[in-house]
Amino acid sequence: MTREEAESLLFREARLLDERRFDEWLSMFTDDCLYWIPTVDGDPEHEVSLVYDDIARMKERVYRLLETKAYAQMPPSRTQHNISNVEVLDGPDEPSARVVSNLMLVELRAGGDGQVGTGRLRLLAARCQYLFVNGPDWRIREKKLILIDRDLPHHNLSFIL
Amino acid sequence: MFNRCRHRGSAVCRDERGHTDQFCCPYHGWVYGNDGALQGIPQADGYPPTLDKSALGLMHVPRVATYRGLIFASLSPHGESLEERLCHVRKYVDHWCDRSPIGTLTLSRGIHRFSYPGNWKLQMDNGVDGYHGNYVHESFLKVVERAGETSVSDVTALRRTGYVRGLSHGDGLIDRPYGGMAGQFDYHNPTLTEYHGLLQQAYGPERAATILGQQNVFLFPNLFLFESHVRVIKPLTVDHTVVEMRPVMLEGVPHDLNTARLRTHERFFGPAGMGAPDDVEMFVNVQSGLKARAVDWMILSRGLHREVRNEDGELVGASTDEAPQRAAYREWRRLMCVDPPGERFPWA
Repeated sequence: MTREEAESLLFREARLLDERRFDEWLSMFTDDCLYWIPTVDGDPEHEVSLVYDDIARMKERVYRLLETKAYAQMPPSRTQHNISNVEVLDGPDEPSARVVSNLMLVELRAGGDGQVGTGRLRLLAARCQYLFVNGPDWRIREKKLILIDRDLPHHNLSFIL
Repeated sequence: MFNRCRHRGSAVCRDERGHTDQFCCPYHGWVYGNDGALQGIPQADGYPPTLDKSALGLMHVPRVATYRGLIFASLSPHGESLEERLCHVRKYVDHWCDRSPIGTLTLSRGIHRFSYPGNWKLQMDNGVDGYHGNYVHESFLKVVERAGETSVSDVTALRRTGYVRGLSHGDGLIDRPYGGMAGQFDYHNPTLTEYHGLLQQAYGPERAATILGQQNVFLFPNLFLFESHVRVIKPLTVDHTVVEMRPVMLEGVPHDLNTARLRTHERFFGPAGMGAPDDVEMFVNVQSGLKARAVDWMILSRGLHREVRNEDGELVGASTDEAPQRAAYREWRRLMCVDPPGERFPWA
């Protein structure tokens, strides 16, 4: 994978999330994928994670956001995923590619003047580690977000990061 | 011990966890042993030789006591003993600990931390609220129904069974029978049958069945013992609260069961879970709504007409009633009022 290919894929993923095209976002992943947001940079079997999803749980998340009364997402988060510092760690002709990048995520839930907990821009920052595998097209097998504030209190991370 | 150097008051330890033999104050280098004893003062000739170092150790919390490995500290040298404090809730703490067939739980699997812009009592109230689940968590119920694990109607039916209990000291619990797949935290546990067998072997079928029930146990003012985790409420200001959830792992069970418990906990709880954020949304909704000063009161009378006092002195209601909330708010009122309206209700 070249850096241009990696950027194109990461930008597309960011756009699909920001436009809430979650079903198309799911189609970027393999069936044996992992979507992981740890609370520590450690062992997922032994430390609780914020997100530790296989494809079934990712589909649950999308279903919950799009088709159920998920009150923590009413109103829904508006997001802007900004990707930078993209590096491809494996050679351009390898069948898989580890890609690292930075994510600066701006999030807002709009709300009226009297509402508590809405109407404020929030900034989340993470190091991203992806594993892409090549088939008919490139798919994501692993997406890991290491949030700067992974072990601090968060108010609401019920949208897709 | 209090995290405060005796010299100028600097915190001597800034790590959340770890191991050390000594605490060295970063400000002027005073060194304390991990028992708190003052071991050394740099340039000690600045003090007279008569200085009594043995009186200048880190200050100890007045009283510390443990029950089944849970450590409780009191900032007052006076008051009830831990045994007296736990009186009515103790047997429910035992049930909780005995979810492990060898009676040992560990909290070593990290922490989910929540914050919300609302009062701490909103979380206190919610943790023993058996009424909201069918409504606030409709979204989660649909998720598990869609996964083919149970049905919304089975879960809502289960949530109408069992009891709530208001205890002395502001404690209380939700107490529902074991609900199989309609119970919330059993999904994806391939070793569940083996686990049930281990419990029956250890405690006999009757007690095993009790232990397997859903009990959300609340120890006033800020400690919850849930099936999947320990929850501690930390009020920071009147409208800013942090909640910490430590997943509970069971000793003496197959490793895969604990991994499954962790994954199942994450599905619902934590800031990115598919359940708990909806609870927190209700806290901020209440914090918003109460700004409307149309009336001074909320309604906490659910089940008041049908609750009964049992032989242990517990106030017992149906599982969606508000007996535990009333117990908690009565204790809160008793402690907060200069001139409390009556003695501790109703066990004085």
